[in-house]
Amino acid sequence: MATPLRLCAVTFLNAWPLYQPLLERPPLDEDGEPLFSVEEALPSECARRLAAGECDVALVPVASYLEHPEWEVVPEVGIAARGAVQTVVVVSEVPLPEVTRIHLDAASRSSVLLLRTLLTTEGLEPELVPAPHGQGASRVRGTEAALVIGDAAFELPGRFAHHIDLGARWLALTGLPMVFAFWAARPGRLTEAHVRALHAARDRGIGQAEPLARRYCEQRLAAGLPAQDEAFYANYLRRTIRYRLDSWEREGLVEYIARSHELHLHDAGDVHVRFAAREHEGVAAARRARAPLRVDALLQRAAAGERLHLHEGIFLYEQADTLALGHAADQRRAALHPEGVVTYIIDRNVNYTNVCTARCKFCNFYVPPTRKLQEGYVHSKEVLAQKFRETEALGGVQILLQGGLNPDLRLEWYEDLFRWTKQNFSLRLHALSPTEIIHIAHLEDLSVAQVLQRLRAAGMDSLPGGGAEILHDEVRNRISPFKNTTDEWLEVMRQAHVLGMKTTCTMVFGFQETAEHTLVHLHRLRALQDEALARRRAHGEHHGQFTAFIVWPFQAEGTRLKLRDDTSPWRYLRVQALARLYLDNIPNLQVSWPTLGPEIGEVALRMGANDFGSVMIEENVVSQAGAHFMLTAEQIEHHIRAAGFSPRRRNMQYDWLPEAAQ
Amino acid sequence: MSPATDSARFRTVADKVRAGEPLAFDDGVFLYRYPDLLAVGALANEVRERLHGDRTYFNINFHINPTNVCEADCQFCSFARLQPGMPQAYTMSLDEIRGKLVERKDQPVTEIHIVSGLHGGVPWSWYTDTLRVLKELRPDIHLKAFTAVEIHFFAEKYGKSYAQALRELVDAGLGSLPGGGAEIFADRVRRKICRDKATAEQWLEVHRTAHRMGLRSNCTMLYGTVETLEERVDHMLRLRALQDETGGFQTFIPLAFHPDGNRLDKLPRPTGVDSLRTYAVGRLMLHNIPHIKAYWIMIGLDTAQIAQSFGVDDLDGTVQEEKIYHMAGADTPQVMTRTGLIRLIREAGRRAVERDTLYEVRWEDDGRPLPGIRVEASVPYSRHRKRVELSVL
Repeated sequence: MATPLRLCAVTFLNAWPLYQPLLERPPLDEDGEPLFSVEEALPSECARRLAAGECDVALVPVASYLEHPEWEVVPEVGIAARGAVQTVVVVSEVPLPEVTRIHLDAASRSSVLLLRTLLTTEGLEPELVPAPHGQGASRVRGTEAALVIGDAAFELPGRFAHHIDLGARWLALTGLPMVFAFWAARPGRLTEAHVRALHAARDRGIGQAEPLARRYCEQRLAAGLPAQDEAFYANYLRRTIRYRLDSWEREGLVEYIARSHELHLHDAGDVHVRFAAREHEGVAAARRARAPLRVDALLQRAAAGERLHLHEGIFLYEQADTLALGHAADQRRAALHPEGVVTYIIDRNVNYTNVCTARCKFCNFYVPPTRKLQEGYVHSKEVLAQKFRETEALGGVQILLQGGLNPDLRLEWYEDLFRWTKQNFSLRLHALSPTEIIHIAHLEDLSVAQVLQRLRAAGMDSLPGGGAEILHDEVRNRISPFKNTTDEWLEVMRQAHVLGMKTTCTMVFGFQETAEHTLVHLHRLRALQDEALARRRAHGEHHGQFTAFIVWPFQAEGTRLKLRDDTSPWRYLRVQALARLYLDNIPNLQVSWPTLGPEIGEVALRMGANDFGSVMIEENVVSQAGAHFMLTAEQIEHHIRAAGFSPRRRNMQYDWLPEAAQ
Repeated sequence: MSPATDSARFRTVADKVRAGEPLAFDDGVFLYRYPDLLAVGALANEVRERLHGDRTYFNINFHINPTNVCEADCQFCSFARLQPGMPQAYTMSLDEIRGKLVERKDQPVTEIHIVSGLHGGVPWSWYTDTLRVLKELRPDIHLKAFTAVEIHFFAEKYGKSYAQALRELVDAGLGSLPGGGAEIFADRVRRKICRDKATAEQWLEVHRTAHRMGLRSNCTMLYGTVETLEERVDHMLRLRALQDETGGFQTFIPLAFHPDGNRLDKLPRPTGVDSLRTYAVGRLMLHNIPHIKAYWIMIGLDTAQIAQSFGVDDLDGTVQEEKIYHMAGADTPQVMTRTGLIRLIREAGRRAVERDTLYEVRWEDDGRPLPGIRVEASVPYSRHRKRVELSVL
């Protein structure tokens, strides 16, 4: 029978998701004995205990590891940030170059080493003096600054004239995430069971952001300390700190060690990070030449059509001013669409059923199958015929047909509906998002390709890009656990493109996703479009592709998702402008005026968009959750002209319709 | 003009702005027509940030419109009911006026904004008593009351000089003048939309008189009726000239025309782009007026949020019970909570500052989470918006 490993964890809030689950549900070995006995301390104390053999495993600052290359590191778990971290900051009343002395928080050696690295890189040499943990900020005056780390930094924003987040600065300098701490163990102690248990604890902890934040809040209040809103802390745990170390974090880690070594800030030399159960590649192998990121230079490059890397996108999202982003996007739009024309379409959004099995927390439209008799509907052909006739009468050219995942509707139902539509109306069918296609494939036990082929044969022209929300499973698992994954969504689009269908793609923001989630979403769309365009080049123009990208803010009214993220028009414009720059291979960007109003729509046209969407004869989903705008074609043209463009009607393929037909 | 000469011209204008030189009439018209909206916005934002940094001001106020009976016959107005006894015409008693404040006696209101119709059927004392009863109840409250058009009307109707009328109102509790009634100064426009009220010269003379007495005031411009862009710029220049003379204006407030329920209802509402451009041009032309205000009640909260990067540094107040614009079809909420305003400002990466009428700071946002704002604006960019000191590290 093994004795439990003595594990020492850091008391800071950001460590809670890594070790609180160990306390709540202590992991046991095969014999039912606990794997760990847990104690708590400040970061530098954790490292001291580990070095002294007073414990077996500890959450240690990365810098401490440099003195103990014999330690083994638990792979794929740690405390890192891809950009701003909030809790490692330098505050001062004067700009940094004028600072003469910095009071260092004694609790973290990683942050001190990071600061010295950044200062040395800039050629700055203020005097560095240690201060007891938590006291640095009180010593800021005149030209004296402080490095503040940990929970004390939550109270600082706005208190000092200058506030520098070292996580953000590291990203700016290297384009890489910063790893602050990880689990290290005395050699030979860790078994696979321990590593698995620490991974499991991390995964559970990440899912408990809200309860952990609530408990933290209560503890502070009980101790008579100032506390922020619990959502603030949850937000910090969920989107500021990153607990999974993947290859990008490891690159950051290696860069940090190597760079500080080059500056002679430590003499650990050619460090190999020894991960338990696997050996990481050597320092030299992982390093590449890197130039510091600059907002202006990146925007200039992007406006000229040069491709942005993922980390550059994250950097711009976090750092660029909105008007500057918008201006670059406007230049890019002008290069892609030099005619000075903004298009729009007359179509009708028809939601054929509201019965849905997906139960997404952000939706206020669906009716679960258990209540279908009371509140559910499926449009009959009579109802649809009426709607289709009205659409034609208004000059409409297309039906945007989407609905819930209704298990009563089989593939034949859709085939019949599409054939009937094509026989009786001259409308194009922009129908069924990937989510619905996957649902039908499951229902019929067919492949996605088979479903698409049959629907296409029945008359489906193109696919709308709904159901994407945020294409990152960390977000999807939280907000729509019963819906398709990112890969599944993309696979439907891939198959549709292979079959020769054009599709759109979308994003809904405001689910407390991180900058990284947002950019990964754009990145994956861009990669899929690369595939589609390569296919078209190699095998002909009859293959499909994305025609347009549309983003809008999550509409929260009445939904079960209780979070309140920033869904402001300001953020919308940022995301849209960034999308124009990042999605260099998707030709069109559509304004989402139904959620934002036509005035913001006009501004969006000056910040990257080149299409005003649809007149929206009908819309049922976002209007159920608080979006209430309606416009006629005449009004749409008025707003397009207001933004300085000529309006032109189009079809789904983004072909302009002849003027005479208008 | 070709795009190349346009951008060369824009750079010249930008150089003037950066050198602190006043812009000429032609510059203003050019800025209105220059296609690159964001470039104009960014230039206005430079001035705004030079003057106010990241601050966006608001205050806690409410409105009283004591009567809608009005002798003037303005084409753009959906509020005035012309004569007593007409349907929906009302005139509040002094008790009703007092009641408006009593209802809010526990709220941290620092200002009452009072604007009325031109009602000649009441004695002069009704106007002075309106102020007096409010002051009796809350001596500390600031009364920003009666536009220049009303002051001019009082002078004519009750046989007083501007100075005399103002003096008596100050004695009754007047703190400052709101900026309404300016509309567009050009005669051509005034003849069409407001032929029978104070002329441009009279409007300016009232403010001149008030400024000389030490009163501060605001100024406005109604845009989106029948005026040309040239007439807008001319309007701004006349305000600027008076400001050079007296320095008494605090804030310029462009007012978007609302077409519902009045005789100009065939006109469209001003577009979002027109509003943003007007704020930006206003900021650039009126270098000598400290503040530019977006009155969210007219342009909507969304456009007001964006306007903070087009020269605007003030979002007015919590308002409450606005009648004039809502009778013209404004579909904005009538009340905005303090929390809502702070959130709107924060989301745009600005620092909210609660002010009183004379721009004394009462509270300044330090970026900490506040009750009712559950998650602040997405963390990285709002807090570090552009002030990231990139060159430093």
